[in-house]
Parts: sequence; C-alpha cells; structure tokens
Amino acid sequence: MKNAEEKWEPKILAFLCNWCSYAGADLAGISRIQYPPNIRVVRVPCSGRVNPYYIIKALQRGWDGVLVSGCHPGDCHYISGNLVARRRFAVLKDLLEYFGIEPERVNFSWVSAAEGEKFANVVTDVVKEVKALGPAKRLVKR
Amino acid sequence: MKWKTIEKRNFSALVEELAKENEVIGPLKEKNTVTSVRITSENEVCLDFWNTKKPPKEVFFPQTETLFTYRTSKNDAEIIESPAIRKKMVLVGVRPCDSRSLVLLDKFLSSGEHKDVYYLEKRKNATIVGLACNHPLSTCFCTSLGGSPSGKEGMDLLLQDINDKYLIQTVTEKGEKLLEKISWLKDAKKADIEKGKKLSSDAEAAVRSKVSLSDVSEKLDKMFDDPFWDQICQKCLGCGVCTFLCPTCCCFDVLEEGEERVRIWDSCQFLCFALQGSGHNPRPSGKERMRQRIMHKFNYFVKNYGKSFCVGCGRCVQECPVNLDIRDVVKTISARKVE
Amino acid sequence: MENFEDSIREVAEKLLRDKKVDLIIGYEQGTLPLRTTPCFVEKLEDVKKLVWNASCDANLSKYVVGKKEKVGVVAKGCDARLIAVCAVENQIPRENVVVIGVPCQGVIDRKKIEAKLEGKEVLEAVVKDEQIKVEGEGFEVVLPKKDFLCDSCHTCRHRNPPIYDVLIGEKLPQSTDKNEFAEVSSLESKSTEERWEHFKEELSTCIRCYACRNVCPLCYCKMCFVDQSMPTWFGKTNDLSDTMIYHIVRAFHVAGRCVDCGACTRACPMAINLRELVKKTEKIMKERYNYEAGLGLEEVPPLGEFKMEDSQEFIK
Repeated sequence: MKNAEEKWEPKILAFLCNWCSYAGADLAGISRIQYPPNIRVVRVPCSGRVNPYYIIKALQRGWDGVLVSGCHPGDCHYISGNLVARRRFAVLKDLLEYFGIEPERVNFSWVSAAEGEKFANVVTDVVKEVKALGPAKRLVKR
Repeated sequence: MKWKTIEKRNFSALVEELAKENEVIGPLKEKNTVTSVRITSENEVCLDFWNTKKPPKEVFFPQTETLFTYRTSKNDAEIIESPAIRKKMVLVGVRPCDSRSLVLLDKFLSSGEHKDVYYLEKRKNATIVGLACNHPLSTCFCTSLGGSPSGKEGMDLLLQDINDKYLIQTVTEKGEKLLEKISWLKDAKKADIEKGKKLSSDAEAAVRSKVSLSDVSEKLDKMFDDPFWDQICQKCLGCGVCTFLCPTCCCFDVLEEGEERVRIWDSCQFLCFALQGSGHNPRPSGKERMRQRIMHKFNYFVKNYGKSFCVGCGRCVQECPVNLDIRDVVKTISARKVE
Repeated sequence: MENFEDSIREVAEKLLRDKKVDLIIGYEQGTLPLRTTPCFVEKLEDVKKLVWNASCDANLSKYVVGKKEKVGVVAKGCDARLIAVCAVENQIPRENVVVIGVPCQGVIDRKKIEAKLEGKEVLEAVVKDEQIKVEGEGFEVVLPKKDFLCDSCHTCRHRNPPIYDVLIGEKLPQSTDKNEFAEVSSLESKSTEERWEHFKEELSTCIRCYACRNVCPLCYCKMCFVDQSMPTWFGKTNDLSDTMIYHIVRAFHVAGRCVDCGACTRACPMAINLRELVKKTEKIMKERYNYEAGLGLEEVPPLGEFKMEDSQEFIK
C-alpha cells in the first residue's frame, strides 16, 4: 500500500492559450528544459475561452489539479480575452476555496511565448504542490 | 386481529428485536426536521412527530438508483444486473396517509404490461408498521381522499399512542408473524382498546380541512382547454418541491452515468420533463405542466384506478415556496361552471 | 403597515384605471398563517385582495422577467434591486415596469418560528407593533418580531428601494453598522477541510428540487446548465459531487448579481442555509471590485468588464 502511494503521480489538466502559453510550452520542449511529465495539455484559442465548467468538470472527473495559462495582461491576441478571464478566474478560485476545495488544485498563470523556463517552473511548482496534497477526492464522482 | 400493548420506554427494545432479522427504517430527528432513515444502534426512532419531511417512497424508489451497469468492449457489451436480493425491511412509524400512498404506488407500478421490478422487489420485502395520527395538522386533508388518521390501508401493524404506551393492532398475517417472535408484548386490556378507539374518532373529527372531490374528475374532463389553467399557473415557479415531497409522485428520468444506467426522480413541473429529442416540447409553459399534475392526480388516475392519486398528506401545501395550495386549486375546479 | 396596504391598493387602482399598466403583481393573503402568496391583479375589483404585511416575502421581480405586458409591481428594497439588475442585463425593459416601491422593515422567517415552537403547529398569527402573537392548540405566545426576521433582513442595508416610480410611505433610515458578512467570515476562518465537511453536511439533504433556482429572479436562463444534455455538463443525481457542483456553479452564476434577498433560503424545503453559499460571491465582488449589485440602472456588471489593474495575486 505504502509503495502504491509513493508511486502515485498526480495528473494535471492544463489549458494553454494558443498564442502564448502553448508556444511557451513548445519553447520549453525545444530548449530541452526538464519538467515533470504530469500534465496533459488542451490547447485553447485564448484563456478567455476557458469556461469555468471545464475546470469543475475536470475536478469531478478525478483530475488531481488544473492549470490554466494565458498571455500576460496587455499581450492577449484578442486584446482583452485574458483580462475578462482574470475576473472570472478570481471569483471561481475564491469560490472553490470557500466550498472547501484545496486551492492548490486550481492554478492560473501567465506565460508568454518566450518564457519556456517560466512554463517549466510553473508546472514543476504545481505538480509539487498537488503531489503534497495527494489524490483528489472532494469533488470526484464515485 | 390481535391487540397488544407496549410501554413507550420499551419501544427501543422492540426496535432492537426487529433489527435482528430486519433492516429497520424509521423516523429520526435531524436538523430540526424528521426524516425516515435506517435505524442503527446509535440513533433512536423518534415517534414524536407530525409527519416526516420526506415521504417513505424513497425507501422503495430512491432519488438516485442504479438499474444496471455494463462493460463495453470493441465488439461486445456485457450487462451486470444490480443485486436484487435485499434484507427484509421493517418501516416503523409510517403515517396512515403515507401507508395509503404505498398502496396506490403498488397499483400504479405493478399494473399493465411493464412492472417496476426495482420498486416491487424492495416493496415485497417490507413490513409496514404504521402510526396513527392523534393530532392531525391543519394542512391534513386525508379524510377527503378516503383515508383516515387511524387508517390501516397498506399496513401490517398499526401503532397508536395512548399516552404512556402504544396500542398495537395486527392488520395482516405478515404483521402477526412479526410479533409472534416477541413474546414479552402484553395483550391489550379492554380499556386500552377503548381508549384507542376514542382517540381515533377524536382525530377523525380533528381533520377540519375538507376538500370535495365528488365532481372534480368529471369537471376536469371538460376543462382541458379551460382558461382557468392560465390563471392558476401564474405564480407557480416550476420547481419540484410539490412532486418530490409528494408520497405518490413517482416519475423518473433515466440517465447514463459512465457505464451505469441510473434513474433519478423527475418532476412533471420541470421544463425538460416532456422535452423531446427533436427540441419540441409538448408542454412548453407552466400552464401545461400544472394541468398535467392536477389532471394526473384527479382525473387520469381516477379513470385508470378508481381513486385520486393524492392522499391528503399536506406536504405540498406546507412546503410550496409560493403557497400555491392544492386544496384551493381543487376547490376552484369544483366551484367552476363548465358546460 | 395598514396604511401601506391602503396606499398600495390606491396606487394599484389608479395605475389600472389610468391604463398605465395591464397587470399589478402584489401579495394576497395566503392559506396558512404567516404566509402570503403572489397575487396577479388585472381587474379593478380585485385590487382589494392586495395586502402588505411582514410575511410578504416572495421576491416578485421573478414574475416581471419575461412579461410582455405593462406591469406594476410591489417591490421591497431587495426586489427593486433585482429589477435594476435584470434591467441592466436587458431582461426587463425598465419602461414597461412601474415599480411600486415599499420601504421594508424585514420579513418574518417562519422556519425560525417553527423551530422556536419545537413542533407545535401555528394555527393563527397576528403581527402587530413589532410583536408576533402566535396561537395554536393549547398555547399562545408573543414573540418579538426582530428576533424572527430572515437572516438577510437582519443585516439589510438597503431597506429603501433604490429605484422606484411610486414610493409607498416614507423612506426609512438606513442602518450601516451591521456586518452582513459575519457568517461568511467565520467560515473563512476555518480550514479548507472544515469548510468542506460543513458544506458536505449542509448539502447532503438537498433533494435537487431546484426551488432555490426557480425562485431566483436571476435564474432566467432558458435552459439551466444542469438541464443541458447536449452536452451534459454535470449530473442530475443527488450524489454529493453532483449536488455540490450544482450549488457551486449556481453561486458562481449569481456572482456580482445576487443582492441577498434571501428567497432561495426561504424556498428550500429542506431548510438548507443557501444564503451562506451565495453570500460569499457578494463578499468577493465587494472586496475585489468594490461592487454592489442592483443600486442603479447605469451600472456595468463586474464580470462583464475589466480593468488593467485588477487584482491578480492568485496568478502564477
């Protein structure tokens, strides 16, 4: 049993915006920067495209953590998609925490196309934090 | 018919005795309300209540129930039936209106070509120990629907609170058998039985809320297109309080939950209840949905089974968020002139 | 209060007679003690049905959304605020509604009275001079009204309707010293674990009847997310995960719009404290964006706009 726990690796679902963070992840790859292989990437046109349902649904389906990443404020390909998203995420994150969902499971970041290193750091951080929490239980359905 | 008595303080011993061979389900006080739940050694049956917040239907027809599970592979699918065999159940403290509702549900879910095996399987294994009402509420109108505060319909045993003890009346053989094993119950004295009868007739008289149903079904026949429905549905919110808390409402929806086929309670008051795959909704507004509920209870069911599909428990009257009183609706129908 | 009732009837009659409106939405006496029920008056002779008392708790703005005719509606402070929110969201054409504003001194929470009486049934109740006299079989008690108001009314800071066309009576002084977020703050001070256990217990009794949703004037979606089946977002079972998610998303959907009218809490047949769930969204909006919903018609909903300098301490 103990062995199984030690072997457990968290699964993180990452929504990356097409114009910045996805390219940032790409850069991390091309530059051969090491980061944990625990994320599965969904490419979205913009962080503003990420419906809160996606995040909640991921938690219900048993993903141990979620990461949403987009362009830095001011850099959005669609001018203000990430700024609208920022408010939405702020409310969602506060609310989920209030309902008792561990805040470390829901993560947001700004990573530009030039920030391969930052992308690797963000993922490393998120994986480390979620790993410390253990497998998701609270919103997981059966 | 046999009459027994049990001291109130010994009642938990009786429950303990029953729990040896049965799963005992009874009313329990939780967060200011009384709900029916499985009785374990840590909690004690509470028989000092008006009626449970939720009716006993959920014991036989749970809000969420897995019908079967399945595994699919590339070319094949395997169905895994839910285990049907259950422990014997004893429901304690079922009020006469609710016990009557089970009789109506039995009829409804067992007649015709397709029987609801999930319901009937559980029902078959259950013994109902009723509890007569000595103090009906102002919202109770069971007598208008053919029930009574000390009615025995659907029960195997009937308990009645006669101050310091419960008077136990056997109603069916099943009930008698249940008591056979409990040797320490005392036979009822004549005075106890008399006292019980007096309390019953007092309770019967205390049901002051009356609704006349004599011509309602007939009138409804001619009222399908009546403008009355437009008025009556105005304040209805279309929520499911009345139907979910109703002891007789048993509509359900079937869902896929992963590799499980699940059924959940559904309500004719919901927008999506009659919504079809094409996008067409034959009951697009509150008017049609309200009409369906009233028609089903006081017309269609009467035609099919000879009785109204309402037992007068008053739950919908008490809990409707906007105080849309079904007694008023029936009264208005009754008073309406139709040609 | 009785004067209020007369004035409401007078105003309603005048509006109907002058053909300013086709329909008046108000309250009439209910069938149970301490209950009123929404009343729809189209004919002059029905105006006398209208009442006003401390049990006028339904949020009538619910019925204004989607009405095509010209409507006059009796609105307390919170009702009027919701009319403003819905008008801002283009759900109520402001010019079609005559708001009959009523300064409100709070509505009675009958669940609190029921709890106080420990199961004894109220057969008659009279509210007079800040006192509630309740009678039942073999008992009669007088209760101070202020102790039996809805939680929302206890901390209400907008007793006067912020928008109205006709005002009944005179404006009440606004109280400002009440901490409306006390409950939320005390929950916030607990650990995530404790909060989860708390909400788990609270919501375990939910029967998914959607009374909280359907009673809410803000829940006007033609198809609620929980009813959607193409695709199905979330399940409709009463499994804890499904129930919890329904309540989380509902709270999210009313964020920046909810005015804490308390209708959801009053509507819940299982006595779940829904206020505690949605009140948090109000706190978030206030703290993050200094926004309070429903105070005017020129407002921009906070989730419909942004500022470059919005807080982003949570972003890595």
